[in-house]
Amino acid sequence: MYIGIDVGGTCTDAVLLDRGLVRAMAKVPTREDLLSSLLEALDEIMKGVEGELVERVVFSTTVITNLIAEKKYDPVGLILMPGPGLSPSLYRFPTDTHIIQGAIDYRGREIIPLRLTEVDQAAAELAARGYRKVAVVGKFSCRNHRHEKEVAARVLWNYPDWHVELGHQVAGQLNFPRRVVSTYLTCATREKYQFFVRSVQEAISQRGIKGAIFILKADGGTLPLESSLEVPVETIFSGPAASTLGVQALTPPGETAVVVDIGGTTTDLALILSGQPLLASRGARVDDMLTHVRALAVKSVPVGGDSVVERVGKDIIIYSERLGAPYCLGGPLPTPTDALRVLGLTRLGDVDRAREAMQMLGAPLGLSVAEVASRVTTRVIETITREIEAMFSRWEQEPAYRVWEVLQKKKVRPSTVVGVGGGAAGFVSQIAARLGCYPVIPPYAPVANAIGAAVARPTLQVTLRADTEQGIYIIQEEGYQGKITERSFNEEKALELAKEWLCKRAARHGLEDCVEGLEVTRREVFNMVRDWVTVGRLIDVTVQTRRGILYHVGAGGTSE
Amino acid sequence: MKNNKTGLVFFPAFDWAISPTHPEREERLLYTRDQIFEEGVLDLPEIEEYAPRLATIHDIARVHFCVPRVQSQVTEAHLIAAGSATLLADAIVHGELKNGFALVRPPGHHAMRVVHGNRGFCNINNEAILVEYLRRHHGIKRIAIVDSDVHHGDGTQDIFYHDPDVLFISFHQDGRTIYPGTGFPNELGGPGAYARTINIPLPPGLGDETFHYVVDNLILPILEDFKPEFIINSAGQDNHFTDPLGSMRFTARGYAEFTRKLNPHLAVLEGGYAIETALPYVNLAILLALAGHDYSYVREPEWPGTMPENPERVARVQRVVEQLRNVWENRDRVDLDKIFGTGTFYQRRKHIYYDTDYIEEEQLERVRRCPNCPGYITIDSRADHGYGHPNRVFCVSIPFTACGACQTEAYDAYEQARGLAQYQFVYLQDKSTDTFLAFDRDKGQEWVSEGPKVGE
Ligand SMILES: [Zn+2]
Ligand SMILES: [Zn+2]
Repeated sequence: MYIGIDVGGTCTDAVLLDRGLVRAMAKVPTREDLLSSLLEALDEIMKGVEGELVERVVFSTTVITNLIAEKKYDPVGLILMPGPGLSPSLYRFPTDTHIIQGAIDYRGREIIPLRLTEVDQAAAELAARGYRKVAVVGKFSCRNHRHEKEVAARVLWNYPDWHVELGHQVAGQLNFPRRVVSTYLTCATREKYQFFVRSVQEAISQRGIKGAIFILKADGGTLPLESSLEVPVETIFSGPAASTLGVQALTPPGETAVVVDIGGTTTDLALILSGQPLLASRGARVDDMLTHVRALAVKSVPVGGDSVVERVGKDIIIYSERLGAPYCLGGPLPTPTDALRVLGLTRLGDVDRAREAMQMLGAPLGLSVAEVASRVTTRVIETITREIEAMFSRWEQEPAYRVWEVLQKKKVRPSTVVGVGGGAAGFVSQIAARLGCYPVIPPYAPVANAIGAAVARPTLQVTLRADTEQGIYIIQEEGYQGKITERSFNEEKALELAKEWLCKRAARHGLEDCVEGLEVTRREVFNMVRDWVTVGRLIDVTVQTRRGILYHVGAGGTSE
Repeated sequence: MKNNKTGLVFFPAFDWAISPTHPEREERLLYTRDQIFEEGVLDLPEIEEYAPRLATIHDIARVHFCVPRVQSQVTEAHLIAAGSATLLADAIVHGELKNGFALVRPPGHHAMRVVHGNRGFCNINNEAILVEYLRRHHGIKRIAIVDSDVHHGDGTQDIFYHDPDVLFISFHQDGRTIYPGTGFPNELGGPGAYARTINIPLPPGLGDETFHYVVDNLILPILEDFKPEFIINSAGQDNHFTDPLGSMRFTARGYAEFTRKLNPHLAVLEGGYAIETALPYVNLAILLALAGHDYSYVREPEWPGTMPENPERVARVQRVVEQLRNVWENRDRVDLDKIFGTGTFYQRRKHIYYDTDYIEEEQLERVRRCPNCPGYITIDSRADHGYGHPNRVFCVSIPFTACGACQTEAYDAYEQARGLAQYQFVYLQDKSTDTFLAFDRDKGQEWVSEGPKVGE
């Protein structure tokens, strides 16, 4: 049996799945003490079920998101080696930043050496200002981490008890400013996250569960809880990923669908293209900083069932904030939920109070209660529909760097609109109608997020970059740099090597089973030609375990 | 609200090359990609990346006579490079962007009006396609192209040689020392477009300082007089001090400063073959300059600092600048009949060598000296591919602003050529109605291409 738990801002949802069927579900309020909510939800779904029967528990949580949003972490200083390029004044990081000499180029060659006296000076200044955590990041450190390691060694030689985080270990992709932010946040949250993970492990074992514990990442993959300690920042934003995977599990395979998760104050939109959730092309924005964190492409629209509706002049305007419950539920001001109640699209709350709310809005304009209600819902539907259209065109506008990529670009439009969340029932059919789609409100929609967590697959990937001219290769995710000894090293051998590394990595995380059905997601080979002679090759390959969900729910547990 | 963004189409065509070891190959923009991505430039709010799009066959036919037809001379990569430039131009004209950079392959500035094959790594001329597109779709009349490639932009010059509304300025390494061997100060445009072509040959080894002397004392003053509605930079990076094909000493910073001063609406990548030592830095610096950012921290690893210039060469450049300023200032006072004769037609013979495809082409180009319009052009072209019979074609081109008499006469010329057995293909390009005809003698067939109507 599988358990999925989604610790959201208001509610903690949990489900118990037994071979694709929902055995039990629970919804409890999320309290300040996350662990107690977690245990309460767990106890509710486990009534009469032995802990030993649970093979795995997956949860998604806002703990890191909240830590970051509330800045509940120790200060972290930055020591950076940006080398030539953008003016450092364009980099605005929210902490003490020290820029020192030293540069690596795009092929990992040193172009400016380090000056260790500058390292000493930067560290001393940070120490004087009370820092004991520092992130060290160099431009192109993912192509050669020597400078970062030398700086770290020097800092730790001066201050052995400091916590030093290195850029190349946090993010292997190109984009220096994002690598800085990702490293900074990793350094900032690691200790607190460690504490959280330990208490979760403790609590779960208290309930007699011996199965594996996983945590959902923003990209919809899971990691063993223990392994997530390496990458705490990747666990942010797992909530929207959970509901998207939940919809994937609750709808037929292979469909192109829009996921509309209508909550109290926001509506989260996600796309499932031919059965797979769409990943954002760049890393997620965290606390208004750009990071390398891979995430599903989720767009949050600031409108929901509890948004405040007001009349301004001759206009009726929906604001992005919430000032309590809908009027029909005893709240202070009219909301879209009141409009739905009047139109009979929801059974929530008191219909007379809902009518009163519409009356307040419409009377000065001479509009009937029904007219106001339909105007309010139309506004909400228009806003959401516009955002869905924009999401599709943004996806079509993704840059392409190869001829075949440009040629294969075609317009894809969804066939279904799948609604989950509180306000879904009232709005989804009209949104679907506008888009020319079928509306679907799947069974278990209120706990789709917990279902998504329960069925998410573990994901691992390995990116290998080989430079045969220099005779070196790099494993991005491991921050490993090795030598190529074989003279006849080629693309096929690179692929083999990448697969070996993925197996090693899987073994380290206790995920041996998932190496079956590996996917090659990137394969690039460039000949390096100097004076009309091929002097070497640059080979980039990325291999990953299968993405997606373990099975569809309610369909007899067929495997995808 | 006026938009202050710089648009970028980055299309490195990572799956397209002339041949595996050719300098114009997949690797060319690889390190530029790495540099731009690693800098995080695309996250800057002032820079917006666009997905490329394809130009249409019709967009090409509006400019070139491709033999036998457009489809046989262009690949999809060519259409994407040209289409990316027009895409950015659309966004600039619509006010979404203040300027843009089409960082694309393959290049185009050696492609001439008639295309029998690939010349100097080019098949179709991205800037020329852009100019005709701007005129047809946006009604923009006066356009300036400034070519900063180390090689003379002979293709662009050829296409606009008789066009009074397009100012073409090219500075480049002296043609006696480098391909394609043209681009001297006396090449000034035909009788109807005198001094609308300006060539500034530079002695090899010249650096930033003298380059900026030319910019400040010749290029910028001419542009100020001409008052173009749209400025295009044919942005070749092979004047760089590390370029393997050129022998100039420009730096990334020199290029960026030039970009800032020129302030073009659109820069379109041309050559540049120092793929590791120059392109990542020059392209980044130009992009920053377009976006109005500080580029002074962009420095190539082998940056030589400022170098003393050879005074004798500097003096030579100063003389050329003075001479061309004179030409420019007196352009409306010269006696054109003295230079071009008094015939109804001005004609010139051209020998064109296609270095990539080893084609020898002989052309007789004639332009009607019309008092009411720029005059229609005919080209009798014979291309020797080195095997079998040479290809002989006849081309008629009617300018955008043609008068009725020229239009009628041009159609007659086309009809007449159709009746002559020596031409395998006869073409008519009517820019005034955006219609293109091609006649294939062997098949006895005529193709017509009519473009979308304005505003579509
Ligand atoms: Zn060139
Ligand atoms: Zn005329």
